[in-house]
Amino acid sequence: MRTLAQSSVGGRSWAGRDDFQAFIDAGGIVEPGDDMPAEYRNEVFRFIEFHANSELMGGLTERDWIRHAPGLRLKQVFLAKTQDEIGHAHLLYMVAADMGVKTRTEMLEDLFSGRSRFHNVFHYQAVTWADQVAIAFLVDAAAFASQRAVFAECTYGPYKRILKRIVSEEGFHMRHGEEMLLRLATGTPTQHEMFQAALDRWWWPAVQLFGPDPPRGDIDPLIRWKIKSKRNEELRAAFVQKYVPLLHSYGFEIPDTDLSQDADGTWMPGEIDWEPLQATMRQGGPDSARRIKTAADNWSDTAWVREALA
Amino acid sequence: MNTDELTGFDAGLFEGSASADTGDVLGALRAVHDPEYPDISIVDLGLVESVVAVDGQVTVGLIPTFSGCPALSMIAGDVRAAVQSIDHALVCQVEWLSSPVWEPARMSPTAQKQLESYTVVLRGRDGSLRCPVCGSFDVSEQSMAGPTRCRSIGWCDSCRNPVEVMR
Repeated sequence: MRTLAQSSVGGRSWAGRDDFQAFIDAGGIVEPGDDMPAEYRNEVFRFIEFHANSELMGGLTERDWIRHAPGLRLKQVFLAKTQDEIGHAHLLYMVAADMGVKTRTEMLEDLFSGRSRFHNVFHYQAVTWADQVAIAFLVDAAAFASQRAVFAECTYGPYKRILKRIVSEEGFHMRHGEEMLLRLATGTPTQHEMFQAALDRWWWPAVQLFGPDPPRGDIDPLIRWKIKSKRNEELRAAFVQKYVPLLHSYGFEIPDTDLSQDADGTWMPGEIDWEPLQATMRQGGPDSARRIKTAADNWSDTAWVREALA
Repeated sequence: MNTDELTGFDAGLFEGSASADTGDVLGALRAVHDPEYPDISIVDLGLVESVVAVDGQVTVGLIPTFSGCPALSMIAGDVRAAVQSIDHALVCQVEWLSSPVWEPARMSPTAQKQLESYTVVLRGRDGSLRCPVCGSFDVSEQSMAGPTRCRSIGWCDSCRNPVEVMR
């Protein structure tokens, strides 16, 4: 793992792309003042913007469930999770805006007008409280696994520093997710059924969250620049391997009729239909329009606060 | 819970059947970490205000960084488990105290250093903010609301990194 030494304030520059790649390959960390290649700047920016958008959209959804959370303690948990996600979005937008590609306002306006992307899982509707539990237990776990894999390498210093906190805080969310799942899994038959129904809705979006691998032979630029440390397929395989037996042990069924186990006991999902994921990337997911509208309304409703502060 | 799950034997009925001194308990509490920061001990964070151990009955008095902190019940559970790891017959009670009020100065230098590795800082005695990344004092306050109730968000103009500040 790359370590974060003291940041270099002064700008460094590289003779060419090969030179820069050699710096990355030797474990170098890029800082904001460095003269990084435009391609690197754009890839890293896009990645952080996507992450920031996802934290914001996730936080807004969790906010909607504060009122519905059963009991004061879980309301408190959801309140704190909401603050966490919005805080993460804030930190990420600061770092992204500093890269000079788009301002923070431009990023938000692009998000609210449907011009930029966010995680597929925030394009679906949470129908019951059990959906929220499935999200906390399963979807957060998938997001956590992919963030952890980014943190492990991540050559852009400011992003890596934020990820260190995000990863440790998401670990705390996982404990809440496990606690909430246990309550439903060991509850009444109705609660068990409720979670099974939620699992039927959320299993595939969680599995698809990692995304497909690029076509064979292509190198993912995010891997070449060491923003990501693992291929999408690798992360998904580890996720399936961990969560299938766990969910089985609580008596739940995985909604994948082609799920199988190989001779070594490794769980293999059936073939993945990528159309639902692609639909979310075009803002055409089942709940995309409502989610984006809610967020956009929120932004316009609070315009007076920004004006008053300006 | 001091009842043996298998036998139903309630050790608490027999006084003196389990014992621990405050040193043992403090040692065990060192291994209890902040649920958000898996390497920072609650002792170093200054959460532990009192430990009383009498005849197998341990009472730990903790103070929260903020009332309403969502981690309180998790920390209390971890404290009970740590005390019972000394001897599972010990009875442990955790009390959240409303005074004294927690303040960043209760943290040990170790915890401060550990937090700095997460780019989280404490204000200096004179109110100044030193960037944990580059060491400059060029840190401006950006937002009172950070990802948790106990932290606000700042920005270092010198190395262009966000910095979180313990409140």
